Amino acid sequence: MKNIEKLGNFTVHDAPKYEDILQCMRCGFCLPTCPTFSLTGRERSSPRGRVALARAVSEGKLEFNQAMKEEAFFCLDCRACTTACPSGVQAGSLMEICRAQADQQQPLPKWQAGFRDFILKKMLPNPDLLETSMLPARLYQKLGIQWLVRHSKLLKLGPKWIDKAEGMMPELHQPLRQNLPHLSSATSEKRGTVAFFLGCVMTLMYAEVSRQTVRVLNHQGFDVITPKAQKCCGAPHMTEGDRETTRQLAQHNLDLFLGLDVDAIVTDCAGCGAALKEYEELLEEQEDHQRLKKFHSKIKDISEFLIEVGIHTEGLKPVNKFVTYHEPCHLCHAQGISKQPRDLIKSIPGVEFREMKEANWCCGSAATFSLKFTEASQKILDRKLDNVKNTEAEVLVTSNPGCHLQLDWGLREAEMAQPVLHLSELLGEATPD
Amino acid sequence: MISKAIIQQLIDKIGKENVITEAEDLLVLGYDATPGLYHAPDVVVYPTSTEAVQDALQIARNEVLPITPRGSGSGLSGGSIPAKGGMVFCLNRMDKILQIDEENLTVTAEAGVITMDLANAVAEKGLYYPPDPASQKISTIGGNVMEDAGGLRCLKYGVTGDYVMALKCVLPDGSIITTGGKSVKDVAGYSFKDLLISSEGTLAIITEVTMRLIPPPQTQQTMLAYFDDIKTAGKAVSEIIAAKIIPSTMEIMDKTTINCVEDYSKIGLPRDTAALLLIEVDGHPAVVAEESAGVQKVLKQVKATEIHIAANDEEALELATARRMALSAMARVSPSTLMEDATVPRSYMAQTFAEIERLATKYDLTVGTFGHAGDGNLHPTVLCDERDADQMKRAHAFFDDLYTKVLEWGGTVSGEHGIGIAKKDYLARQVGPGGVAVMKRIKNAFDPDGILNPGKIFFD
Repeated sequence: MKNIEKLGNFTVHDAPKYEDILQCMRCGFCLPTCPTFSLTGRERSSPRGRVALARAVSEGKLEFNQAMKEEAFFCLDCRACTTACPSGVQAGSLMEICRAQADQQQPLPKWQAGFRDFILKKMLPNPDLLETSMLPARLYQKLGIQWLVRHSKLLKLGPKWIDKAEGMMPELHQPLRQNLPHLSSATSEKRGTVAFFLGCVMTLMYAEVSRQTVRVLNHQGFDVITPKAQKCCGAPHMTEGDRETTRQLAQHNLDLFLGLDVDAIVTDCAGCGAALKEYEELLEEQEDHQRLKKFHSKIKDISEFLIEVGIHTEGLKPVNKFVTYHEPCHLCHAQGISKQPRDLIKSIPGVEFREMKEANWCCGSAATFSLKFTEASQKILDRKLDNVKNTEAEVLVTSNPGCHLQLDWGLREAEMAQPVLHLSELLGEATPD
Repeated sequence: MISKAIIQQLIDKIGKENVITEAEDLLVLGYDATPGLYHAPDVVVYPTSTEAVQDALQIARNEVLPITPRGSGSGLSGGSIPAKGGMVFCLNRMDKILQIDEENLTVTAEAGVITMDLANAVAEKGLYYPPDPASQKISTIGGNVMEDAGGLRCLKYGVTGDYVMALKCVLPDGSIITTGGKSVKDVAGYSFKDLLISSEGTLAIITEVTMRLIPPPQTQQTMLAYFDDIKTAGKAVSEIIAAKIIPSTMEIMDKTTINCVEDYSKIGLPRDTAALLLIEVDGHPAVVAEESAGVQKVLKQVKATEIHIAANDEEALELATARRMALSAMARVSPSTLMEDATVPRSYMAQTFAEIERLATKYDLTVGTFGHAGDGNLHPTVLCDERDADQMKRAHAFFDDLYTKVLEWGGTVSGEHGIGIAKKDYLARQVGPGGVAVMKRIKNAFDPDGILNPGKIFFD
């Protein structure tokens, strides 16, 4: 690690760069794109305000205090401001770094820190433990306890987030990681081989979605290798400010996947894709630059990959539906992938695509934001649901499990009839057996 | 420091949620988009009605607290920075469009409405509000009036001030007045509303505006012309006007600007060209066809290296949007950007470019120039680092010299950004002691205690 000078009231370890902060010339172009600013109208809850707070900390004019911490976590990290910023300021990434600073400078009370460490350092990095831990939840559904709990309204008595968390749980299947073979072979003329990065939430909660992703890839002519030794991408750790564990996980996944001879590393989770693409920056001080570059160039979101290689539409079954699309922030803002998913949807025979207003506006899920700030999250979600409603679409497509959970729950609560489908599920519906 | 009792009075009058006193909130309400300027307020209020403005102003008056009105803080001369602390009035919660009058072709809105929201709302009724400052996505209409903001379409359609029909405002003595109205003609007494336009919040706080609307142009055509050197681009501008064509937009970008904008927008601007003009003609289809042909003829005569016609509305919009990003995009390549707002009579365009080039060499600075070429309104921008004292000194010397020439040619030190804190000495040079004295007398008549936006426009 290089010898770095202390920057104002930031600690030396995992501190932002002063240049990155100075980059903001305060034009305010980010303001109309920020969901939290739109909600509160408070400058400090805007990208420009947050960067200004960080600047004050970096210039020793403000302690890294509770308010700085609050804003670091109240930021959705949706990166809409990054897309909007002509000066190249990355307010979202900056707030992620500030979360790591909060971890050092504003530690949680002991019991909370213990619980957080248990999840981040023990459970998430260990897929086996994680899968076993979901067993009670599956039993909870299978044995009908869920039905009982939901109908008794028992959870309405506790804190709001517990009720919401329970309500968000989709129908669980067996985790996919153990069930997918190491190699799933192409089912049509072979065009190449890809590795599949299977996200934690995907394997645990959306096993059926990722099964479709593999099936679609096979049908499109690709052998799919799913290495069982893969671990969490590190996004949850990054979001919570635990950059050390993120680096360990990143190093593991980098070594594992670079050891495979594949054309691309495909993921169907926008959050994972964004995190994997950020390994290059995260590991720059401990890894060989060429290896990082190579890894980055291979990471592809499923939509990005299929458009790049060209989707074969002959033989696809028609799906006669009106479809609208919600852009996951970590796909459109963090990865700049906006056109590809729409092109894929439109390529399916029978589909009529209906663009919604503000498709790239966050849905309010944002990792644990939806549980930490239930009210703010609900308001952001309502705005999204209104826009969905106005399209009169029959199906809402998205491609990130966080959005999927939030939207699915939101539509049910609002008694709207549209199902939420992952793009892979829609493609799966069109893919013949 | 403001006493607890005062804060309590404010809370009682305008509501707890509309009074902000937390240190971290105040910290981020002491800037606008002008580099290097900063002063934190002591308290911030978010009035939600004209009466709330009046109430808060009365409390500030009793305490002789400085008052600074603020919209979105996107200004470029420090106008909304509370130079002397005190109370900042953030008007962006007064964001309702009150009436779109299709018979009189006017829109009435609260001062905190975002410019683009206003333009979109009238567009839905088939009407057009032309002024489009680069910051229209976030700037407020009240702020636009206070600074008399320009934009890309001023050449043909004029500036914000040309569209003001009526203003409702609170004066420093606490009274509420409305000046102007929906009548097309109005010569009753002093034209008070015209005095308020570009007064930078030093005479009154505007709470409501009524703006003139026009029918939208039926069609438009956007084109790009590339040039080997920037002086030829300047010449093209004069020749197009001399050919009796008034395009709605005639924007210029030099090589530095083009590259910064392309870095962000990636729309395929030619990185190696010395300058480009973005030209738009609009109106009746027959007129557009004729003017477009006329413009292209001139461009060929002056030897533009290439002319590119936008294929459709989306491409035209993309080009205009890219141009609006120019200043912010330049912040990509340097920690600080020092931009000016020099404006000359159009016939001096080519000389101005030559002078900018000469001075950039003289002071060893990287300067990106873009702006509203058709208006003679240029934004030479020095790419610098505010931590480098010597470089900053040279940058200021650069502008000093440039303004000497601009004033010699009968130009102005500010085309559209206002004087604020940043350009007080330039204004004094332009209008002279006599000019400043008259302005001060006017200011004094409105605000004898000097509580409204002190420290702006002229030295105390």
